[in-house]
Amino acid sequence: MPKRTDIKSILIIGSGPIVIGQGCEFDYSGAQACKVLRQEGYRVILINSNPATIMTDPEMADATYIEPITPEYIEAIIAKERPDAILPTMGGQTALNAAMKLNELGILEKYGVELIGAKPDAIKRAEDREEFLATMTAIGLEMARGGFVKTTDEAMQLIDLVGFPAIIRPSFTLGGTGGGIAWNLEEFRDIVQKGLDASPVTQVLVEESVIGWKEFELEVMRDMADNVVIICSIENFDPMGVHTGDSITVAPAQTLSDKEYQKMRDAAIKVIRAIGVDTGGSNIQFAVNPADGRMLVIEMNPRVSRSSALASKATGFPIAKIAAKLAVGYSLDEIPNDITKLTPSCFEPTIDYCVVKIPRWDFEKFKGIEATSSQLGVQMKSVGEVMAFGRTFKEAFQKAIRSLEQSRYGLGSDGKDEFEIDEMSDVEKIRTMEIIRERLGQRRSDMIFTIRYAMKLGMSREQIFDITKIDPWFLNQLEQIVRREGELRQAAALV
Amino acid sequence: MQTFTINPELLYNAKRDGFSDKQIAEIFHVSEDEVRSERKRLGFIPVFKTVDTCAAEFAAQTPYHYSTYEEENESVRTTTKKVVILGGGPNRIGQGIEFDYCCVHAAQALAEEGYETIMINCNPETVSTDYDTCTKLYFEPLTFEDVMNILDYEKPDGVIVTFGGQTPLKLAKQLEAAGVPILGTAPDNIDIAEDRKRFGELIDKLGIKCPPYGTATTEEEAVAVADKIGYPVLVRPSYVLGGRSMEICYRPEAVSEYMASAKGVSHERPVLIDRFLEDAYEFDVDAIRDKSGTVIIGGVMQHIEEAGIHSGDSSSVIPPYDTSDDVYALIIAYTRMLANALNVIGLINIQFAVKDGTVYVLEVNPRASRTVPFVSKATGRPLAKIAAKIMSGRLLKDFDVKDFDKHTAYVAIKESVFPFDKFPRVKMFLGPEMRSTGEVMGSGADFGEAILKSHLAAGIKIPTEGTIFVSLRDLDKKPRTAEIIRGFHYLGFRIIATSGTTKYLAEHDIPAESVNKVSEGRPNIIDAIKNGEVQLVINTPSGEISRIAEYEIGWSALAYKVPFITTLSAAASIVSAVRSLRKGERVVRSIQQLHTELVLPI
Repeated sequence: MPKRTDIKSILIIGSGPIVIGQGCEFDYSGAQACKVLRQEGYRVILINSNPATIMTDPEMADATYIEPITPEYIEAIIAKERPDAILPTMGGQTALNAAMKLNELGILEKYGVELIGAKPDAIKRAEDREEFLATMTAIGLEMARGGFVKTTDEAMQLIDLVGFPAIIRPSFTLGGTGGGIAWNLEEFRDIVQKGLDASPVTQVLVEESVIGWKEFELEVMRDMADNVVIICSIENFDPMGVHTGDSITVAPAQTLSDKEYQKMRDAAIKVIRAIGVDTGGSNIQFAVNPADGRMLVIEMNPRVSRSSALASKATGFPIAKIAAKLAVGYSLDEIPNDITKLTPSCFEPTIDYCVVKIPRWDFEKFKGIEATSSQLGVQMKSVGEVMAFGRTFKEAFQKAIRSLEQSRYGLGSDGKDEFEIDEMSDVEKIRTMEIIRERLGQRRSDMIFTIRYAMKLGMSREQIFDITKIDPWFLNQLEQIVRREGELRQAAALV
Repeated sequence: MQTFTINPELLYNAKRDGFSDKQIAEIFHVSEDEVRSERKRLGFIPVFKTVDTCAAEFAAQTPYHYSTYEEENESVRTTTKKVVILGGGPNRIGQGIEFDYCCVHAAQALAEEGYETIMINCNPETVSTDYDTCTKLYFEPLTFEDVMNILDYEKPDGVIVTFGGQTPLKLAKQLEAAGVPILGTAPDNIDIAEDRKRFGELIDKLGIKCPPYGTATTEEEAVAVADKIGYPVLVRPSYVLGGRSMEICYRPEAVSEYMASAKGVSHERPVLIDRFLEDAYEFDVDAIRDKSGTVIIGGVMQHIEEAGIHSGDSSSVIPPYDTSDDVYALIIAYTRMLANALNVIGLINIQFAVKDGTVYVLEVNPRASRTVPFVSKATGRPLAKIAAKIMSGRLLKDFDVKDFDKHTAYVAIKESVFPFDKFPRVKMFLGPEMRSTGEVMGSGADFGEAILKSHLAAGIKIPTEGTIFVSLRDLDKKPRTAEIIRGFHYLGFRIIATSGTTKYLAEHDIPAESVNKVSEGRPNIIDAIKNGEVQLVINTPSGEISRIAEYEIGWSALAYKVPFITTLSAAASIVSAVRSLRKGERVVRSIQQLHTELVLPI
């Protein structure tokens, strides 16, 4: 399909200031979109309040507005520039929310502006829990059982559906606090009541627990001709219960059998078609129960995301750039792959290496009143991330650790170890084991180093898995690194 | 010294498993250099593979590489003149997107100068790691080992270490010692600016003042130094970015407490103690100097928040809004003197404080600073690009660029955003330790319009009417404060306050109603916030309320999305913003329009 000639000018909405959960990945996607759309001959108008971005450089757009991303200011820009279309899928949740608000307020209609990339009804289907659940049910996919409730009575009615343990998560509390896991009715009633009190909107989400399940993401793209390609699969090293943004992630997925992967792939294709994102990229998250292989859809982002930036860098496939071209009418087979120049973008990337991403936290700057505020959970807390390539997971993993610049030069043995296990007496080892065992049960940001200590103290993969639920395949990789460290130490002792 | 020997097969296997030279050195109790030279002698150097989307099935046109220990090298070397740019690594508090912006500009500028540009970085979120940004991209850790492996192979004509923040700067001396050509300001001159003693000697020679200071490694020493220079003092460890673990101490006990908790203090890394200039105005200057000694002032900013709040957290205004011509002239003159004295080639950032008409220099950074993108957007001049070209040997006279003129026709304000909502029960007051994650810019025909926009962009809900709650610490109960609060009264806001503050306001004829503190019974201020009865909280710490109660108020304000203002200058800025908001007009201007139409002819 040729590109659209009925639109001449496009307003791109950026993501505003860098905040936790919305970082500079949207400068990357936004800058790519600006470049591509200008090359295609469109007049590009941009709004982003963040001056530290490349996308707000004066030469990136025809008119660049460093103005607040609020409906009032966007309307003023629309009134002045009269764009034909708005591309809201490049600026994270900020841009998507702003576009939905403009739609709701009738501003899009008033000025005759079209949303491209994702339509309001598709955005709503993806983002509204009820609608998303209904859509998933209709295509035969499962989600975690549960729902939002506003009273304890409503919650009690859900408990049969949800079962124990049940997760209770209050809406809009700071740092996602005030929730918990209930193992019996009394606890359940108690936590729901506390959660309702803590929530400024008196609402909690009651959900079946999938904590400890394996977590995966697929980056998917679709064009107007209904072609769908999977750009990349990503596996979380940390199981469900830790926000993806706070998880160590690995591409491609390492622990799925081909059959399981094909099932997930088919599901992802069904999801993007059913939600109706007709041009562009989406990120779909899945949970898999390691015990029985049961697969749930967790959520879908109908836009480019932090994971799509990661997938782009991991594969070389420029998702944002291609998504911008799809939004103006091209189909995947018409867009050449920039890297090879020979293959079209409908070729799915193949990778012959391993990529590891590790988040970077700055907990010491945000000491709360309680020590638990430095533990990981469903609320993202990392402020940045690094990625590294290797031919094996082990190589990429250790390179990623030294990329973090926290004076760590790999998985331990770098002069920064908290415990020198090799130097310890047996008594010291027993004492240390108690500390390590306790830490394994907490979702601490230094989990990988704790696992190393546990292994050096003689804990087996099975024991570590029982506590952490980290897939045995990953634990095996870490064990191999620890074993190699042992060989090095042995050799050093002989010198 | 012990020489390093190892079974070659074991070394190779360890390298294939991703072990760094440093880890191996640690295990064998030898230096990283020894491991490195033995590894090279054995011929174990990494090869560079290509990220090509197709597992090498088709030829890749885009040189996007990573290292590994294998046989075949896929990175094609050219003989073109080339520059390597070291990126900023992972984003973190104090080192954010601003440095990536600078690195990308360096790449663009040097490509314009005909160089092959090579980027090394490991942050997947950034524009710098887009394979379109540079001629070549190496997605690699920014450690000495990994960087040297690339430099050994590429043999660039120059390396830029001053654009990516502290990350590449930390490597500068080691790279220089390894014979790598560093572009721009010499690492030793950067060191003068960072080394307290050498810097002190330099400014003494130049006759420039800085706040009285000293260094200490023990508690006794620290208290003695603080007593000598006078309280309050600012204490912090040496060599930091983003103001890690800085504190303002008003009493000797606080200094002792700080020293007791300070980690890793040594003679090489002492604690720095400076006199803290209370109520001073702070300024930031970004400038460029070329090798012929010409200096161009890129921009001068004045902070809104009082001294004592980290420059990365305070709001900055272009042009300075409250300064005499004499002070301004002195700031400019000092900037030129310091740039020349440090023989800067490229960017320099200087922070000044002005108290009672005296200009003090607080900090000199002979490198790209976090304010460069804001200044560039606010003034329409691509400072990072110009600086990169200067570092490659060009002169400022080659560019049509003049000194910043403070008579701009519009005001631009940079404001910071904070992640307090992500950390339960975190201390929300600003201080010398940086905690913002990002920034926004607001611009307007006057201060009010610009501050309204920057507040809105930062997500602060500006009320046009309703009730404000005020709690002031005794130090702030000054006539200037009363005028700020009076501003709200004139705007028709109802004022509620703690009993002490109510009394203070009454003394200045400002009507206020007393409200219960948390400890004084119900209903109290937190009930009022939760019931939607308060539209703005002004709470300067530590007032009459206990610290923990202040936090409680902050957390409820945050949860109920009520603006929580902790400094007087920010409170004053809200008055301007409310006035501007009440006018009701929404004027938007593209930066292209700002840059061409609104700058007064020079």
